[in-house]
Amino acid sequence: MGGLGLICLLLYKSMEGSMLVIADSFASMGAFADAFGMSTLSIGTVGGYFATEIGTIHGLGSGMFAACLATPLLSKEEEAHTADFTYTLPVSRQRVLHAKALYMVCSLLLFTFVCFLFYLAGFLLLGEAVPYPELIHFMCAQLLMDLVIAGICYVISACTRKTKLGIGIGIAMFFYAYDLMSRILPALRKYKLFSPYSFANATDIFAHKKIPTAGISLGIFVILLSFLFSQILYIRKDLSC
Amino acid sequence: MSSVIEICHLTKRYGKQRGVSDVSFTVEQGDIFGFLGPNGAGKSTTIRSLLGLIHYQSGQLRVLGYDAKKEHTHIMQQVGYLPSETWFYPNVTVNDILKLAAEARRCDCSEERQFLCDKLQLDMHRKISDLSLGNRKKVGIVCAMQHRPRLYIFDEPTSGLDPLIQSIFFDLIHKHVEEGATCLLSTHVLSEVRDHCNRVAIMKDGRLLCCNSVAHLTRGHSKRIRMIRDGIKLDYLYHGSLDDLYKELEGHHIGDILIEEPSIEEIFMHYYGGEGTDVDAF
Repeated sequence: MGGLGLICLLLYKSMEGSMLVIADSFASMGAFADAFGMSTLSIGTVGGYFATEIGTIHGLGSGMFAACLATPLLSKEEEAHTADFTYTLPVSRQRVLHAKALYMVCSLLLFTFVCFLFYLAGFLLLGEAVPYPELIHFMCAQLLMDLVIAGICYVISACTRKTKLGIGIGIAMFFYAYDLMSRILPALRKYKLFSPYSFANATDIFAHKKIPTAGISLGIFVILLSFLFSQILYIRKDLSC
Repeated sequence: MSSVIEICHLTKRYGKQRGVSDVSFTVEQGDIFGFLGPNGAGKSTTIRSLLGLIHYQSGQLRVLGYDAKKEHTHIMQQVGYLPSETWFYPNVTVNDILKLAAEARRCDCSEERQFLCDKLQLDMHRKISDLSLGNRKKVGIVCAMQHRPRLYIFDEPTSGLDPLIQSIFFDLIHKHVEEGATCLLSTHVLSEVRDHCNRVAIMKDGRLLCCNSVAHLTRGHSKRIRMIRDGIKLDYLYHGSLDDLYKELEGHHIGDILIEEPSIEEIFMHYYGGEGTDVDAF
Protein backbone atom coordinates (compact mmCIF):
# COMPACT_ATOMS: atom_id res chain seq x y z
CA MET A 1 0.00 0.00 0.00
CA GLY A 2 2.77 2.38 1.02
CA GLY A 3 4.88 1.34 -1.96
CA LEU A 4 1.99 1.95 -4.33
CA GLY A 5 1.45 5.38 -2.79
CA LEU A 6 5.15 6.16 -3.10
CA ILE A 7 5.19 5.20 -6.79
CA CYS A 8 2.09 7.32 -7.44
CA LEU A 9 3.68 10.22 -5.59
CA LEU A 10 6.92 9.93 -7.56
CA LEU A 11 4.91 10.01 -10.79
CA TYR A 12 3.78 13.52 -9.88
CA LYS A 13 6.88 15.20 -11.30
CA SER A 14 6.45 13.60 -14.70
CA MET A 15 2.76 14.50 -14.73
CA GLU A 16 3.04 17.94 -13.15
CA GLY A 17 2.58 19.88 -16.41
CA SER A 18 -0.36 17.88 -17.67
CA MET A 19 -1.91 17.90 -14.20
CA LEU A 20 -2.10 21.68 -14.28
CA VAL A 21 -3.91 21.47 -17.60
CA ILE A 22 -6.51 18.94 -16.46
CA ALA A 23 -6.91 20.38 -12.94
CA ASP A 24 -9.36 23.02 -14.13
CA SER A 25 -11.44 20.58 -16.11
CA PHE A 26 -11.57 18.17 -13.13
CA ALA A 27 -12.58 21.03 -10.83
CA SER A 28 -15.55 21.85 -13.05
CA MET A 29 -17.02 18.34 -13.09
CA GLY A 30 -19.72 19.22 -10.56
CA ALA A 31 -20.79 16.40 -8.23
CA PHE A 32 -17.94 14.14 -9.37
CA ALA A 33 -15.42 16.82 -8.47
CA ASP A 34 -17.19 17.34 -5.12
CA ALA A 35 -17.11 13.65 -4.35
CA PHE A 36 -13.38 13.36 -4.93
CA GLY A 37 -12.59 16.77 -3.47
CA MET A 38 -11.28 18.21 -6.73
CA SER A 39 -13.49 21.24 -6.42
CA THR A 40 -11.69 22.31 -3.25
CA LEU A 41 -8.14 21.16 -3.97
CA SER A 42 -6.13 21.50 -7.13
CA ILE A 43 -4.77 18.26 -8.50
CA GLY A 44 -2.02 20.41 -9.98
CA THR A 45 -0.36 20.94 -6.58
CA VAL A 46 1.52 18.16 -4.80
CA GLY A 47 -0.76 18.45 -1.74
CA GLY A 48 -3.86 18.32 -3.89
CA TYR A 49 -2.45 15.47 -5.94
CA PHE A 50 -1.65 13.49 -2.78
CA ALA A 51 -5.07 14.10 -1.23
CA THR A 52 -7.16 13.32 -4.31
CA GLU A 53 -5.15 10.43 -5.72
CA ILE A 54 -3.07 8.76 -3.04
CA GLY A 55 -5.50 9.65 -0.25
CA THR A 56 -8.30 7.89 -2.12
CA ILE A 57 -6.18 4.83 -2.88
CA HIS A 58 -4.97 4.65 0.71
CA GLY A 59 -8.49 5.06 2.10
CA LEU A 60 -9.87 2.21 0.05
CA GLY A 61 -6.78 -0.01 0.43
CA SER A 62 -6.38 0.46 4.17
CA GLY A 63 -10.08 -0.20 4.74
CA MET A 64 -9.77 -3.46 2.85
CA PHE A 65 -6.57 -4.31 4.70
CA ALA A 66 -8.35 -3.77 8.03
CA ALA A 67 -11.23 -5.99 6.89
CA CYS A 68 -8.89 -8.73 5.64
CA LEU A 69 -6.94 -8.58 8.91
CA ALA A 70 -9.90 -8.71 11.30
CA THR A 71 -12.39 -10.99 9.56
CA PRO A 72 -10.43 -14.27 9.87
CA LEU A 73 -8.81 -13.50 13.22
CA LEU A 74 -11.17 -15.53 15.41
CA SER A 75 -13.12 -17.62 12.91
CA LYS A 76 -9.96 -19.08 11.40
CA GLU A 77 -9.29 -21.01 14.62
CA GLU A 78 -12.40 -23.04 13.93
CA GLU A 79 -12.06 -23.12 10.17
CA ALA A 80 -8.48 -24.41 10.36
CA HIS A 81 -9.41 -26.74 13.27
CA THR A 82 -6.79 -25.19 15.57
CA ALA A 83 -9.41 -24.21 18.20
CA ASP A 84 -8.98 -27.57 19.93
CA PHE A 85 -5.32 -26.75 20.46
CA THR A 86 -5.59 -23.06 21.33
CA TYR A 87 -8.57 -23.26 23.65
CA THR A 88 -7.43 -26.32 25.57
CA LEU A 89 -4.35 -24.49 26.75
CA PRO A 90 -4.79 -23.02 30.22
CA VAL A 91 -5.79 -19.61 28.92
CA SER A 92 -9.25 -18.11 29.05
CA ARG A 93 -11.18 -17.20 25.94
CA GLN A 94 -11.09 -13.57 27.09
CA ARG A 95 -7.33 -13.63 27.08
CA VAL A 96 -7.18 -15.03 23.55
CA LEU A 97 -9.77 -12.48 22.47
CA HIS A 98 -7.82 -9.60 24.04
CA ALA A 99 -4.50 -10.82 22.63
CA LYS A 100 -5.93 -11.08 19.13
CA ALA A 101 -7.54 -7.63 19.43
CA LEU A 102 -4.21 -6.21 20.57
CA TYR A 103 -2.46 -7.90 17.65
CA MET A 104 -5.02 -6.36 15.31
CA VAL A 105 -4.50 -2.85 16.72
CA CYS A 106 -0.71 -3.21 16.60
CA SER A 107 -0.85 -4.45 13.00
CA LEU A 108 -2.96 -1.47 11.97
CA LEU A 109 -0.62 0.89 13.83
CA LEU A 110 2.37 -0.64 12.08
CA PHE A 111 0.61 -0.59 8.72
CA THR A 112 -0.27 3.10 9.12
CA PHE A 113 3.22 4.00 10.30
CA VAL A 114 4.92 2.17 7.41
CA CYS A 115 2.59 3.85 4.91
CA PHE A 116 3.34 7.19 6.55
CA LEU A 117 7.08 6.58 6.11
CA PHE A 118 6.59 5.76 2.43
CA TYR A 119 4.52 8.90 1.83
CA LEU A 120 7.05 10.96 3.76
CA ALA A 121 9.83 9.52 1.63
CA GLY A 122 7.80 10.39 -1.47
CA PHE A 123 7.48 14.03 -0.50
CA LEU A 124 11.19 14.22 0.40
CA LEU A 125 12.28 12.53 -2.85
CA LEU A 126 10.15 14.97 -4.81
CA GLY A 127 11.95 17.80 -3.01
CA GLU A 128 8.64 19.27 -1.90
CA ALA A 129 7.82 20.70 1.52
CA VAL A 130 6.21 17.99 3.62
CA PRO A 131 2.72 19.02 4.79
CA TYR A 132 3.32 17.47 8.21
CA PRO A 133 0.15 18.62 10.04
CA GLU A 134 -2.16 17.51 7.24
CA LEU A 135 -0.27 14.28 6.59
CA ILE A 136 -0.21 13.29 10.27
CA HIS A 137 -3.87 14.26 10.68
CA PHE A 138 -4.77 12.18 7.63
CA MET A 139 -2.85 9.12 8.80
CA CYS A 140 -4.36 9.31 12.32
CA ALA A 141 -7.87 9.67 10.89
CA GLN A 142 -7.20 6.71 8.59
CA LEU A 143 -6.02 4.66 11.56
CA LEU A 144 -9.22 5.43 13.43
CA MET A 145 -11.27 4.58 10.35
CA ASP A 146 -9.40 1.29 9.96
CA LEU A 147 -10.07 0.48 13.61
CA VAL A 148 -13.80 1.04 13.08
CA ILE A 149 -13.86 -1.29 10.06
CA ALA A 150 -11.65 -3.83 11.84
CA GLY A 151 -13.87 -3.66 14.94
CA ILE A 152 -17.01 -4.48 12.96
CA CYS A 153 -15.22 -7.29 11.13
CA TYR A 154 -13.94 -8.62 14.47
CA VAL A 155 -17.54 -9.02 15.63
CA ILE A 156 -18.31 -10.94 12.43
CA SER A 157 -15.26 -13.10 13.07
CA ALA A 158 -16.47 -13.78 16.62
CA CYS A 159 -19.82 -15.14 15.54
CA THR A 160 -18.91 -17.16 12.44
CA ARG A 161 -17.26 -20.54 12.08
CA LYS A 162 -15.91 -19.90 8.59
CA THR A 163 -13.98 -16.86 7.47
CA LYS A 164 -16.39 -14.49 5.75
CA LEU A 165 -13.79 -12.40 3.96
CA GLY A 166 -16.31 -11.31 1.34
CA ILE A 167 -18.54 -9.77 4.00
CA GLY A 168 -15.55 -8.00 5.59
CA ILE A 169 -14.35 -6.50 2.32
CA GLY A 170 -17.96 -5.73 1.42
CA ILE A 171 -18.32 -3.66 4.59
CA ALA A 172 -15.21 -1.61 3.76
CA MET A 173 -16.42 -1.09 0.18
CA PHE A 174 -19.91 -0.17 1.38
CA PHE A 175 -18.57 2.49 3.75
CA TYR A 176 -16.39 3.90 0.97
CA ALA A 177 -19.29 3.94 -1.52
CA TYR A 178 -21.66 5.39 1.09
CA ASP A 179 -19.19 8.21 1.77
CA LEU A 180 -18.94 8.98 -1.95
CA MET A 181 -22.73 8.95 -2.33
CA SER A 182 -23.23 11.15 0.70
CA ARG A 183 -20.89 13.69 -0.86
CA ILE A 184 -22.83 13.66 -4.14
CA LEU A 185 -26.44 13.33 -2.99
CA PRO A 186 -27.68 16.27 -0.88
CA ALA A 187 -30.30 14.04 0.79
CA LEU A 188 -27.55 11.85 2.23
CA ARG A 189 -25.21 14.66 3.19
CA LYS A 190 -26.39 15.03 6.76
CA TYR A 191 -26.09 11.25 7.30
CA LYS A 192 -22.56 10.98 5.97
CA LEU A 193 -21.12 10.52 9.46
CA PHE A 194 -22.46 6.94 9.42
CA SER A 195 -19.45 6.05 7.32
CA PRO A 196 -16.04 6.22 9.00
CA TYR A 197 -14.69 7.61 5.72
CA SER A 198 -16.52 10.84 6.62
CA PHE A 199 -13.81 11.94 9.04
CA ALA A 200 -10.87 10.37 7.22
CA ASN A 201 -11.23 11.97 3.82
CA ALA A 202 -7.87 13.27 2.58
CA THR A 203 -9.27 16.14 0.54
CA ASP A 204 -11.30 17.43 3.52
CA ILE A 205 -8.19 17.28 5.70
CA PHE A 206 -5.80 18.82 3.18
CA ALA A 207 -8.35 21.53 2.33
CA HIS A 208 -8.75 22.26 6.06
CA LYS A 209 -12.47 21.63 5.92
CA LYS A 210 -14.34 21.14 9.16
CA ILE A 211 -14.10 17.48 10.14
CA PRO A 212 -17.34 16.08 11.62
CA THR A 213 -16.50 15.45 15.28
CA ALA A 214 -19.77 13.54 15.63
CA GLY A 215 -18.38 11.06 13.08
CA ILE A 216 -15.22 10.65 15.15
CA SER A 217 -17.25 10.15 18.33
CA LEU A 218 -19.47 7.64 16.55
CA GLY A 219 -16.37 5.86 15.28
CA ILE A 220 -14.89 5.54 18.78
CA PHE A 221 -18.28 4.38 20.08
CA VAL A 222 -18.46 1.70 17.36
CA ILE A 223 -14.95 0.49 18.22
CA LEU A 224 -15.84 0.11 21.90
CA LEU A 225 -19.17 -1.49 21.08
CA SER A 226 -17.50 -3.93 18.66
CA PHE A 227 -15.03 -4.99 21.32
CA LEU A 228 -17.86 -5.52 23.81
CA PHE A 229 -20.03 -7.45 21.36
CA SER A 230 -17.17 -9.65 20.18
CA GLN A 231 -16.54 -10.57 23.85
CA ILE A 232 -20.17 -11.38 24.58
CA LEU A 233 -20.64 -13.41 21.40
CA TYR A 234 -17.35 -15.26 21.48
CA ILE A 235 -17.42 -16.24 25.12
CA ARG A 236 -20.91 -17.72 24.74
CA LYS A 237 -20.07 -19.51 21.53
CA ASP A 238 -19.72 -23.26 21.14
CA LEU A 239 -16.39 -23.89 19.46
CA SER A 240 -16.51 -26.45 16.71
CA CYS A 241 -13.67 -28.87 16.19
CA MET B 1 -10.49 -43.26 45.73
CA SER B 2 -11.50 -39.73 44.76
CA SER B 3 -13.41 -38.75 41.64
CA VAL B 4 -11.31 -37.03 39.03
CA ILE B 5 -14.25 -36.47 36.69
CA GLU B 6 -17.80 -36.08 37.96
CA ILE B 7 -20.56 -35.68 35.42
CA CYS B 8 -24.06 -35.23 36.83
CA HIS B 9 -27.09 -35.06 34.53
CA LEU B 10 -25.27 -33.44 31.63
CA THR B 11 -27.64 -32.27 28.89
CA LYS B 12 -26.48 -30.52 25.79
CA ARG B 13 -28.60 -29.71 22.74
CA TYR B 14 -27.49 -28.06 19.50
CA GLY B 15 -30.59 -26.05 18.75
CA LYS B 16 -33.22 -28.67 17.99
CA GLN B 17 -30.58 -31.33 17.42
CA ARG B 18 -29.72 -33.82 20.12
CA GLY B 19 -26.34 -33.63 21.75
CA VAL B 20 -26.34 -35.61 24.98
CA SER B 21 -29.15 -36.13 27.42
CA ASP B 22 -28.96 -36.68 31.16
CA VAL B 23 -25.50 -38.25 31.17
CA SER B 24 -24.00 -39.06 34.56
CA PHE B 25 -20.86 -40.97 35.46
CA THR B 26 -17.64 -40.58 37.39
CA VAL B 27 -14.03 -41.39 36.64
CA GLU B 28 -11.94 -42.27 39.67
CA GLN B 29 -8.30 -41.57 40.27
CA GLY B 30 -6.09 -44.23 38.72
CA ASP B 31 -8.72 -45.32 36.21
CA ILE B 32 -8.06 -45.97 32.59
CA PHE B 33 -11.63 -45.29 31.67
CA GLY B 34 -12.91 -46.44 28.29
CA PHE B 35 -15.53 -44.26 26.67
CA LEU B 36 -17.24 -46.28 23.98
CA GLY B 37 -19.83 -45.48 21.37
CA PRO B 38 -20.32 -45.19 17.63
CA ASN B 39 -20.06 -41.92 15.71
CA GLY B 40 -22.61 -39.39 16.91
CA ALA B 41 -23.20 -41.16 20.21
CA GLY B 42 -22.22 -38.05 22.18
CA LYS B 43 -18.70 -38.93 23.35
CA SER B 44 -17.04 -35.86 21.89
CA THR B 45 -19.90 -33.63 23.09
CA THR B 46 -19.34 -34.91 26.61
CA ILE B 47 -15.58 -34.38 26.39
CA ARG B 48 -15.93 -30.92 24.84
CA SER B 49 -18.35 -29.96 27.62
CA LEU B 50 -15.78 -31.09 30.19
CA LEU B 51 -13.10 -28.96 28.55
CA GLY B 52 -15.24 -25.82 28.29
CA LEU B 53 -15.20 -25.80 24.48
CA ILE B 54 -18.98 -25.93 24.36
CA HIS B 55 -21.65 -24.69 26.75
CA TYR B 56 -24.17 -27.17 28.11
CA GLN B 57 -27.77 -26.45 29.06
CA SER B 58 -27.89 -28.33 32.35
CA GLY B 59 -25.87 -30.56 34.60
CA GLN B 60 -22.87 -30.28 36.84
CA LEU B 61 -19.40 -31.12 35.62
CA ARG B 62 -16.37 -31.20 37.84
CA VAL B 63 -12.85 -32.04 36.75
CA LEU B 64 -10.16 -32.52 39.40
CA GLY B 65 -12.52 -30.80 41.82
CA TYR B 66 -12.91 -27.71 39.63
CA ASP B 67 -16.15 -26.53 38.07
CA ALA B 68 -15.89 -27.14 34.32
CA LYS B 69 -17.93 -24.03 33.55
CA LYS B 70 -16.13 -21.52 35.75
CA GLU B 71 -12.62 -22.84 36.29
CA HIS B 72 -11.50 -23.76 32.81
CA THR B 73 -7.95 -22.44 33.14
CA HIS B 74 -7.35 -24.34 36.41
CA ILE B 75 -8.59 -27.52 34.75
CA MET B 76 -6.51 -27.15 31.61
CA GLN B 77 -3.39 -26.52 33.69
CA GLN B 78 -3.64 -30.12 34.90
CA VAL B 79 -5.23 -31.88 31.94
CA GLY B 80 -3.60 -33.26 28.83
CA TYR B 81 -6.07 -33.40 25.96
CA LEU B 82 -5.66 -35.07 22.61
CA PRO B 83 -8.48 -34.31 20.17
CA SER B 84 -9.60 -36.88 17.62
CA GLU B 85 -8.28 -34.71 14.80
CA THR B 86 -5.01 -33.00 15.61
CA TRP B 87 -4.45 -29.70 13.83
CA PHE B 88 -1.87 -27.07 14.62
CA TYR B 89 -0.71 -23.82 13.10
CA PRO B 90 0.86 -25.00 9.83
CA ASN B 91 3.78 -22.61 9.38
CA VAL B 92 5.68 -23.39 12.55
CA THR B 93 7.85 -26.29 13.65
CA VAL B 94 6.88 -29.12 15.98
CA ASN B 95 9.22 -27.67 18.57
CA ASP B 96 7.51 -24.25 18.37
CA ILE B 97 4.10 -25.80 19.02
CA LEU B 98 5.35 -27.93 21.91
CA LYS B 99 7.18 -24.97 23.46
CA LEU B 100 4.10 -22.78 23.10
CA ALA B 101 1.96 -25.39 24.90
CA ALA B 102 4.58 -25.68 27.67
CA GLU B 103 4.94 -21.91 28.06
CA ALA B 104 1.16 -21.53 28.30
CA ARG B 105 1.37 -23.85 31.31
CA ARG B 106 4.41 -22.01 32.63
CA CYS B 107 6.46 -25.16 32.97
CA ASP B 108 9.80 -26.30 31.70
CA CYS B 109 8.93 -29.51 29.93
CA SER B 110 12.06 -29.71 27.78
CA GLU B 111 13.36 -32.96 29.31
CA GLU B 112 10.00 -34.77 29.12
CA ARG B 113 9.41 -33.33 25.63
CA GLN B 114 12.71 -34.71 24.38
CA PHE B 115 12.02 -38.07 26.02
CA LEU B 116 8.56 -38.35 24.45
CA CYS B 117 9.74 -37.25 21.01
CA ASP B 118 12.54 -39.83 21.11
CA LYS B 119 10.14 -42.51 22.30
CA LEU B 120 7.55 -41.73 19.61
CA GLN B 121 10.21 -41.15 16.93
CA LEU B 122 9.08 -37.60 16.25
CA ASP B 123 11.38 -35.07 14.59
CA MET B 124 10.94 -31.79 16.46
CA HIS B 125 12.51 -29.67 13.74
CA ARG B 126 9.99 -30.46 11.02
CA LYS B 127 7.32 -28.01 9.99
CA ILE B 128 3.77 -28.88 10.97
CA SER B 129 2.58 -28.50 7.37
CA ASP B 130 5.02 -31.24 6.30
CA LEU B 131 3.71 -33.81 8.78
CA SER B 132 1.55 -36.82 7.97
CA LEU B 133 -1.64 -37.59 9.92
CA GLY B 134 0.23 -40.04 12.14
CA ASN B 135 3.03 -37.60 12.91
CA ARG B 136 0.52 -34.85 13.70
CA LYS B 137 -1.08 -37.29 16.11
CA LYS B 138 2.32 -37.83 17.74
CA VAL B 139 2.68 -34.05 18.20
CA GLY B 140 -0.73 -34.08 19.84
CA ILE B 141 0.32 -36.89 22.17
CA VAL B 142 3.52 -35.10 23.21
CA CYS B 143 1.54 -31.90 23.65
CA ALA B 144 -0.90 -33.71 25.95
CA MET B 145 1.75 -35.56 27.95
CA GLN B 146 4.82 -33.33 28.20
CA HIS B 147 3.60 -31.42 31.27
CA ARG B 148 2.82 -34.65 33.16
CA PRO B 149 -0.85 -33.82 33.80
CA ARG B 150 -2.99 -35.43 36.47
CA LEU B 151 -5.67 -36.29 33.94
CA TYR B 152 -5.38 -37.40 30.33
CA ILE B 153 -8.32 -37.10 27.98
CA PHE B 154 -7.69 -38.87 24.71
CA ASP B 155 -10.21 -38.82 21.89
CA GLU B 156 -9.42 -41.69 19.51
CA PRO B 157 -5.71 -41.51 20.22
CA THR B 158 -4.51 -44.37 18.08
CA SER B 159 -6.13 -43.52 14.75
CA GLY B 160 -3.33 -42.96 12.27
CA LEU B 161 -0.63 -44.50 14.48
CA ASP B 162 1.24 -47.63 13.45
CA PRO B 163 0.97 -50.68 15.78
CA LEU B 164 4.46 -50.15 17.22
CA ILE B 165 3.73 -46.54 18.22
CA GLN B 166 0.31 -47.60 19.53
CA SER B 167 2.04 -50.07 21.81
CA ILE B 168 4.56 -47.44 22.98
CA PHE B 169 1.70 -45.01 23.58
CA PHE B 170 -0.19 -47.45 25.81
CA ASP B 171 2.99 -48.32 27.70
CA LEU B 172 3.41 -44.61 28.45
CA ILE B 173 -0.19 -44.33 29.60
CA HIS B 174 0.13 -47.33 31.92
CA LYS B 175 3.36 -45.91 33.35
CA HIS B 176 1.80 -42.51 34.03
CA VAL B 177 -1.33 -44.06 35.54
CA GLU B 178 0.82 -46.20 37.83
CA GLU B 179 2.43 -42.96 38.96
CA GLY B 180 -0.96 -41.52 39.94
CA ALA B 181 -2.50 -40.09 36.78
CA THR B 182 -5.96 -40.87 35.41
CA CYS B 183 -6.97 -41.45 31.81
CA LEU B 184 -10.25 -41.06 29.93
CA LEU B 185 -9.97 -42.90 26.65
CA SER B 186 -12.65 -42.30 24.05
CA THR B 187 -12.38 -44.90 21.31
CA HIS B 188 -14.11 -47.07 18.75
CA VAL B 189 -11.50 -49.79 19.13
CA LEU B 190 -12.98 -52.39 21.44
CA SER B 191 -9.72 -54.26 21.89
CA GLU B 192 -8.15 -51.11 23.35
CA VAL B 193 -10.85 -51.05 26.02
CA ARG B 194 -10.49 -54.77 26.67
CA ASP B 195 -6.69 -54.64 26.89
CA HIS B 196 -6.10 -51.34 28.65
CA CYS B 197 -9.18 -50.07 30.49
CA ASN B 198 -10.42 -51.04 33.92
CA ARG B 199 -13.77 -49.25 33.59
CA VAL B 200 -15.98 -48.39 30.67
CA ALA B 201 -18.98 -46.25 29.79
CA ILE B 202 -21.05 -46.98 26.70
CA MET B 203 -22.96 -44.21 24.95
CA LYS B 204 -25.72 -44.48 22.36
CA ASP B 205 -27.84 -41.75 20.80
CA GLY B 206 -26.70 -39.17 23.32
CA ARG B 207 -27.51 -41.33 26.32
CA LEU B 208 -25.35 -43.34 28.66
CA LEU B 209 -26.24 -47.01 28.34
CA CYS B 210 -24.01 -48.39 31.03
CA CYS B 211 -20.99 -47.56 33.13
CA ASN B 212 -19.15 -50.27 34.96
CA SER B 213 -15.89 -52.11 35.29
CA VAL B 214 -14.80 -54.05 32.21
CA ALA B 215 -14.52 -57.17 34.39
CA HIS B 216 -18.08 -56.75 35.65
CA LEU B 217 -19.45 -56.32 32.16
CA THR B 218 -17.68 -59.33 30.78
CA ARG B 219 -18.51 -61.46 33.83
CA GLY B 220 -22.15 -60.45 34.05
CA HIS B 221 -25.18 -62.63 33.67
CA SER B 222 -24.71 -63.10 29.93
CA LYS B 223 -22.84 -66.15 28.72
CA ARG B 224 -21.61 -67.22 25.36
CA ILE B 225 -23.02 -70.70 24.79
CA ARG B 226 -21.55 -73.01 22.19
CA MET B 227 -23.05 -76.50 22.10
CA ILE B 228 -24.24 -79.41 20.02
CA ARG B 229 -27.86 -80.05 21.07
CA ASP B 230 -29.75 -82.93 19.54
CA GLY B 231 -27.13 -83.02 16.82
CA ILE B 232 -27.52 -79.31 15.99
CA LYS B 233 -24.58 -76.95 16.46
CA LEU B 234 -25.64 -73.78 18.38
CA ASP B 235 -23.70 -70.60 19.23
CA TYR B 236 -25.51 -67.76 21.01
CA LEU B 237 -25.53 -65.27 23.90
CA TYR B 238 -27.63 -66.47 26.79
CA HIS B 239 -29.02 -63.75 29.10
CA GLY B 240 -30.68 -65.89 31.79
CA SER B 241 -29.28 -67.65 34.85
CA LEU B 242 -27.40 -70.93 34.60
CA ASP B 243 -30.19 -72.68 36.57
CA ASP B 244 -32.66 -71.69 33.86
CA LEU B 245 -30.25 -72.87 31.21
CA TYR B 246 -29.93 -76.30 32.83
CA LYS B 247 -33.72 -76.56 33.04
CA GLU B 248 -34.00 -75.69 29.37
CA LEU B 249 -31.49 -78.35 28.45
CA GLU B 250 -33.29 -81.12 30.34
CA GLY B 251 -34.53 -83.81 28.02
CA HIS B 252 -32.16 -82.82 25.23
CA HIS B 253 -29.16 -84.75 24.09
CA ILE B 254 -26.12 -82.55 24.56
CA GLY B 255 -23.19 -83.67 22.39
CA ASP B 256 -20.82 -80.94 23.61
CA ILE B 257 -21.18 -77.68 25.50
CA LEU B 258 -18.94 -74.68 26.17
CA ILE B 259 -20.07 -71.84 28.43
CA GLU B 260 -17.80 -68.76 28.45
CA GLU B 261 -17.79 -65.03 29.24
CA PRO B 262 -18.85 -62.83 26.34
CA SER B 263 -16.14 -60.70 24.73
CA ILE B 264 -16.19 -56.89 24.92
CA GLU B 265 -17.17 -56.92 21.26
CA GLU B 266 -20.21 -59.01 22.05
CA ILE B 267 -21.19 -56.71 24.89
CA PHE B 268 -20.85 -53.73 22.60
CA MET B 269 -22.89 -55.41 19.88
CA HIS B 270 -25.50 -56.41 22.44
CA TYR B 271 -26.01 -52.74 23.33
CA TYR B 272 -26.05 -51.63 19.73
CA GLY B 273 -27.65 -54.63 18.19
CA GLY B 274 -31.35 -54.00 18.67
CA GLU B 275 -34.15 -51.97 20.13
CA GLY B 276 -35.06 -51.96 23.79
CA THR B 277 -31.64 -52.80 25.08
CA ASP B 278 -31.71 -54.25 28.55
CA VAL B 279 -28.88 -52.82 30.58
CA ASP B 280 -29.70 -55.03 33.53
CA ALA B 281 -28.86 -58.08 31.48
CA PHE B 282 -25.27 -57.37 32.41
